[in-house]
Amino acid sequence: MKNMSTQKQNGYMLLFRSDEWYEELSHDEIQKVIGQNNAWIERLVAQGKAKPGHPLQRNGATISGKNGRIVSDGPFAEAKEVIGGFLLLDVETIAEAVAIAQSSPTLAYGTSIEVRPVTEECPLDVRARELAREEQLASA
Amino acid sequence: MSTQNQNQNGYMLLFRGTDLRKGVSPEELQKVTDNWMAWFNHLTEEGKAVAGNPLEREGKIVSGKDRIVSDGPFAESKEAIGGYFLLDVSTIEEAVAIAKECPGLPYGIRVEVRPVAGECPIAADIRKEAQFAQV
Repeated sequence: MKNMSTQKQNGYMLLFRSDEWYEELSHDEIQKVIGQNNAWIERLVAQGKAKPGHPLQRNGATISGKNGRIVSDGPFAEAKEVIGGFLLLDVETIAEAVAIAQSSPTLAYGTSIEVRPVTEECPLDVRARELAREEQLASA
Repeated sequence: MSTQNQNQNGYMLLFRGTDLRKGVSPEELQKVTDNWMAWFNHLTEEGKAVAGNPLEREGKIVSGKDRIVSDGPFAESKEAIGGYFLLDVSTIEEAVAIAKECPGLPYGIRVEVRPVAGECPIAADIRKEAQFAQV
């Protein structure tokens, strides 16, 4: 997997999604998972592979509609898809980022982890240029 | 909506929707992305945005006890996360007011505003429970 085409200089973002997995665990079990997860993040930070991560509170708001007229309470997604936290990884290949995601202690409890390349240039910009080129070709 | 909503850890804006509405011309699309960048730079200069990046559309999902890796797509394209800002503001009202300025809103983008937690909210909950149990 380690070739130039998959290398990214801007790192990767891990997005953790889960439902309320902790509902079915005992107090001690929850404490254990949290301890393991904190140790996992601290180790990645110490290795220079991650910046300190942030959990997100489960409440919030969603803004939509023209000029942001619609404000609704809460995250947009269904409970099992709600993003519970994120971690920014400073690694160069998606293979490395996936390997780190696979070592997360929370997977055994039903979380899923989305691995996304961080980019400097907005993909919409790239799309705008493509469209402009297509139009030019069509009119040529 | 009061000072109870104060949060010292800031807020995260998650931009949902990776495709603007169909029929947007390249010039208009370019204008939206330019406005978006100008908006972010302005928030950064004011000290209100501390980080932000677009995310590429590709990616992987890792899930389950067996740690299975699958390719995207992750969510429907209208729900997929296209990027994020981290805001250093102390109330959700302020974060919502900023979210309302997003140049993508007229094109179908939704902005999710989430308080960043200083510690895992689950850890905080069980600590509180433990305190009550001791009383």
